[in-house]
Amino acid sequence: MPADADWIWKIDQEIPSRAEVACGLIRDFVEKLEDAGWNEALVFAIHMALEESIMNAIKHGNANDESKLVRIVAGFTASLFQATVTDEGEGFNPADVADPTLDENLEITSGRGVMLIRQFMDDVEYSQGGRKILMRKHRG
Amino acid sequence: MSDIRFQCIKVEQLDDIHVVRFADDKVMDPARIEQLGGELQRLSDSSESPKVIINFSDVKFFSSAAINKLIVLEKRVRAKGGRMRLTNLRPEVRDLFGFTQLDSLFSIHDQQSDAVVELTTK
Repeated sequence: MPADADWIWKIDQEIPSRAEVACGLIRDFVEKLEDAGWNEALVFAIHMALEESIMNAIKHGNANDESKLVRIVAGFTASLFQATVTDEGEGFNPADVADPTLDENLEITSGRGVMLIRQFMDDVEYSQGGRKILMRKHRG
Repeated sequence: MSDIRFQCIKVEQLDDIHVVRFADDKVMDPARIEQLGGELQRLSDSSESPKVIINFSDVKFFSSAAINKLIVLEKRVRAKGGRMRLTNLRPEVRDLFGFTQLDSLFSIHDQQSDAVVELTTK
């Protein structure tokens, strides 16, 4: 965990389970990354991880219940992006999510978020019964 | 076709081929993606055997929810005996289709011109 002084940008916000609120937060965060000079590939990867983790928290974790909150703690230093996303749902076991890359699952229109987060991030850890995800991406 | 109005996509007609570009450079907002799905469905319904090119040249970000709409469109086009091609994907978006193995479901070309030739000659 970086020291407080090392963060170039950091947020710690609880938002209601509403997609448009999440989109605004993600757009703002991505703009900060771009302003700090992170390259397109890294910005895309971080955008993907934030988008998929927060939308999963809203849709699957909190079941679109607007009274339930999603807590997002995210930030970046000169060399590291790190974020945690926590929902108030029932939790889940990531190992139970069907592999979307199998031929029989290719045409299924769900279940790619968990796999994409793993592909685009360097480190991914679940805790609190699947209600909390920690993601890291190293720059360079 | 000419009567159809879209907000999330821009459609150009090259003979019998619909060339689709996205109005948003970041295709991520769930409400817009739902609208996008409806517009793609109307587009595919407008031809008996649709030929569709999705040109990604303006796209900087594409979420998995947006991909799902393309899967639905591909199934619909295939069911009608049509064909669909994806073109001009920037490397990060191309990786997205590679990581998900969806490059085996979709036909992907580097350039729109390659897709036009294939849809015209085969």
